This record gives sequence, structure tokens and C-alpha cells, in this order.
Amino acid sequence: MPPVINKELCNGCGKCAEICPSDVFFGSEIGKTPVVSYPDECWHENACVNDCPVGAVTLRIPLSMMVVYK
Amino acid sequence: MQEEKVKCDVLCIGGGIAGLMAAIKAADTGVEVVVVEKSNTLRSGAGGMGNDHFQCYIPEIHGDFDTFWRELFYGQMVGFFQQLDTDYIRYWFENSFDIVKLWNSWGIPMTYQGRYEFAGHGFPGKQLNHLKYSGMNQKPVLTREAKKRGVKIINRVMGVDILKNEEGRAIGAIGLCTREDKIYVFEAAGVILSTGNCSRIYPSVTPGADNNRAFPLSNSGDGRAMAYRAGAELKNLELVHRHAGPKYFARCGQATWVGVLRDRNGNAVGPWASRPDKTYGDMATEVSKTIFEEYRKSGKGPVYMDMTGITEEDLAYMVHFMKNEGNDSILNHMAGEGLDLGKAAVEFQTFEMQVDGGVKADCRGETAVKGLYAAGDDVSGTISHAAVFGWSAGENAATYASSVKAKDIETSRTFIEEKKDFIDSIKTRKNGATWRETLSGLQQVMVDYCGAVRSSVLLEAGLDLVRRLKKKARASLTAENPHDLMNCLQVLNQIDIGELVLISALDRRETRALHVRTDYTFNDPLLGNKIHLIRQVDGQPVTAWIPVNR
Repeated sequence: MPPVINKELCNGCGKCAEICPSDVFFGSEIGKTPVVSYPDECWHENACVNDCPVGAVTLRIPLSMMVVYK
Repeated sequence: MQEEKVKCDVLCIGGGIAGLMAAIKAADTGVEVVVVEKSNTLRSGAGGMGNDHFQCYIPEIHGDFDTFWRELFYGQMVGFFQQLDTDYIRYWFENSFDIVKLWNSWGIPMTYQGRYEFAGHGFPGKQLNHLKYSGMNQKPVLTREAKKRGVKIINRVMGVDILKNEEGRAIGAIGLCTREDKIYVFEAAGVILSTGNCSRIYPSVTPGADNNRAFPLSNSGDGRAMAYRAGAELKNLELVHRHAGPKYFARCGQATWVGVLRDRNGNAVGPWASRPDKTYGDMATEVSKTIFEEYRKSGKGPVYMDMTGITEEDLAYMVHFMKNEGNDSILNHMAGEGLDLGKAAVEFQTFEMQVDGGVKADCRGETAVKGLYAAGDDVSGTISHAAVFGWSAGENAATYASSVKAKDIETSRTFIEEKKDFIDSIKTRKNGATWRETLSGLQQVMVDYCGAVRSSVLLEAGLDLVRRLKKKARASLTAENPHDLMNCLQVLNQIDIGELVLISALDRRETRALHVRTDYTFNDPLLGNKIHLIRQVDGQPVTAWIPVNR
């Protein structure tokens, strides 16, 4: 589930749902913690993380996308 | 299904860099402008999270234009430029500095530490044409500038099809709301296609994770498909390209990394770099983006972007521009993995094939359909291209819109109703095909029949298969909600493009770059200065070759 919302911090402003390019938060309502309806349509571009005014969103990068390094 | 009518002079379909620049310029001339955007203009498109390199000519840096011009054709982009008319490229670079100054005045930082900084995408000692800029805020800034001029932005509406009148002139478009059960009918004198590129025709590098892509998922070739269905020409669709970047975390911006490409034993794989260099980077990846694939297939093993030895100052520079390139998520991820970037070697990968060709438009943005314009990634790539030609298309569409009388959209009522009925059939159908299975179906055909190896027998078989898939998809797709419906219409566009890629590939009887024909193994020099067109005539695809204007 890529975007992870900290319910304690989230103020329900709806910014993440407003701006998400893939609309993974489809069906969310302003005033409530957003729902991640389409996690597998997340493009991991960080829009929700960067634009959240209270820093309530983090991305969990799927294991299949771990960077490879040495 | 609810229908809302919206009237304007100029309609921009897609609110990325090109669409917003077109809207701003059109509004500046005093006409009424609407931008219809599938996502939200604040973060949508390939430039949604930012960009850090803007191709341009700056007289005080580059000096004489003709010298700059000659050097341009020796640089990394030469293959890309060969597909474009000379007057088109000239227009692009002659107008690029004006956009740089404009963006800077609007608050997109186009200078670095108070100066114009050029780096990347160039060979050591040679001319550089990529201006480093801090474009993280470019979409919010352009959205603000558009709104300031009275541009009406309608987010979460996907452009579905162009409306034309009996003379064949574009007079508007149909849009689908992706949040509610609603159709839009736009009535406009001039229509600009600026929907972005066409990703996801081929399978992603990660099995089962179609979202692992270097370009946004919403870039589904809608503009190309709409243009074709409206009668405009598409060009060089079969000339796919493959991007490269960090392995398993598909991202653009490979030139922002300041390192040396090395094999597992630490040997540099290219001749151009021996230590991390922020000005020139390592051109090995620019010269051959498939080098990573070749190393893997030949057993020579992985190739790493090795930052070992980078100075602290250059590391800070790299991180600054990676953020502005929109690569925050991978930076965060690497930090979370405990990676010290200054000592790290991150493996790179050649990503999947991607459609490179686009809508045929001239430097005025004009297509073969009167009143229909195209700009940005719908035509060709890069941010500065989108900005310059979006601006141009906006100006010309506005002039055109002022000269013609808006046509009553009701003349297209039959077409609109047919489209609505088709959309309704997807919405109301039970137990049918999902958009996902349909997209997977397309991707497996494209990679197997029109992938790294191509021949007439393979392509003909692939074409049969895609046409069967198209017929079945149209008759069996289902959608649970408006979001699903958007995905269904996207996959139908992707199928249309896939079909046209196959037809175009069949008609290109030569081997060129990644278009490898086992039955036509020679590169045909006579096609080197030609553009391959495909358009719809009486419902059938017709191909043609026209010379590149040099």
C-alpha cells in the first residue's frame, strides 16, 4: 500500500486526494482521513508526501522496487 | 448520464507544461480559455513533480546562433533531432531563451547560484544546451499564472474525442469526468492536444507491477489516439525508444546522477568519464541506453552508477537537482535503505520499450485537421519543447479562434450520443473484462510480436491479435465507477496506438535503431531523411513517407 497516512496527524484537508496524479485516493471525502482506493496505481512520485501540509503521508516503496546497489 | 456543456474560444486538452503554456499565451491575447485535465494541473504530467534541465540557446552563453546550431547536431540529441524538421528545431531554440526569462520572472528558478548553469547531456569539452533549473514548483506556478489570466481549469476530466463539423474542422471535444457520472461537451473554435506521452504499451520491467514506470501512468497516449481518430497524422510510431535509470525503481532523470558507469569489478564501461563530474556526467548512458541490457544479456553483469569519489559540493548539487527533477521518492527510499550516496554504486537498467513518435504538428502547432493543434509530448519530448511549442500553439490557436465563428456543437449531436451510448455500455455491463486484463493482453502481444525482434510474419500475426483484442474489449469491458471508466477509455486508446505501431512497423521495411526487422536487416539510407506518417482515410489507416525538411 504505497501512501501510508498517519491518522493522528491527518487533518482531513483533502490535499493529497486533490492532487494525486493517478487518483489513488478516489472516493475520499474532505474532513475524513483519505482512503487509498487504488494502491497499485500509485506512481510513487511523492506528490502526496510533499504537498501534505501537516506531513501526515509517507510512501512505502514496494519490495519489488528496492533499489539495487553495492 | 449527466451532460455539462462548456463554451470557450480555445480548449486545451491536458494541463501539463504544454497545455498550461498554451492556455497562458492564448489568454494573454484576450480569448476565453479552458484547460481540461485528467488529473490536477498542480502535479500532473511528466513534469508534475519538477524538472531540472531545459534545452535552450542563450546568446550570452553560446554566442553566435549558427555556431550553436552546428554543435547541436554533433551532440547527444542528434538521433532525436533527425526526426524533426530543421525549421522546427530552429524555431524551438530561437524561442527558448524567451521562455527561460519568462519562467524566471514567474518564480521558477532558472539560474543556479545567480548564474545560468549548463550541464549534462553533452560530451566533455563540447557545447552544452541543457540549462540546469530548479523546476520543482513549475506546475503550481504555471497553474497560478493561468488562473491569474482567467483561464478556467477543469480537473479530473479526461478528453475522450475531438468533435468536428461537416467541413472537417475541429469544433470542440467530449470529456469524461473521472470522479462523477458525468460527460462534458466542450464547444471551442480552437482545440489543442497536450495530453502527454504514451507509456504502458509494453510490459513494465517488474512482473505484476504495471505501475513501475519511468513516466506517469496517466500518460496513456490519449492525444495521439484522439488525433488519429479525428483524422490528423501520426508520425514515426514504430520508432520506439528505451529509457534507462535506477534498476527496479523506474524513473527518468538519469543525467542528474553524478557518477561513473562501472561494471561490478569497478571498470568504467564507457570512454567518457573516469571520475564523477557534475558538468558532463557520464555520456555512456546517453550514447547507449541499452548498454545495461546488453551487459546483462551477455553475462558481463550489472552496471552501476558509481558516485564513489564525488566531492561533497558536487553531491549537494546532485541531490538538489534530483529533488527538482522530481526524484524525491527515490532519494527518500535510498536514505531509508541507509545508502550513503557519496559512496554508493546504484545499479542501472534499460527500461521497457516506449512509443516515441507522436502527432505530426508544425512549429505553429497545426495538425492536418483545421482548428486542431498539438504540442508537448503529444508531438515530441522534453520540457523546453513542451514550453516553446505550447506557447506557440496557444498563440496560433487563439488567433485562429478569433478569426472563425464558433460552430454550434449540436451539429455533432449524433457523434456525441453514440459516444455516450458506448460509455454507458461499459458502465452497465456485468461480468465483463477488466481494463487491467485488457492492458496486459495488449502488452504481451506488443512485446512478443512487435518487440525487440520484428518481421512481417510476426507483425501480421500481432496485428490480427490486437484487432481481435480491440473488438473483444469494446464489447466486453466493464467499469465499477468513473475511475475504472477512465482506465477503460485509456486502454482503448492504448490499443488504438498499439495497432498503429504494428501497422507502421510492418510498413517500415528496414532496420533502424530499435526497430529491428529480421526480414529487412539493412538500414535504408533513403529513409534516413523521411518521416513515416499514418492517418485515417475513410476509416482505414493509410501510411505515407514525407521528407524531413532540412
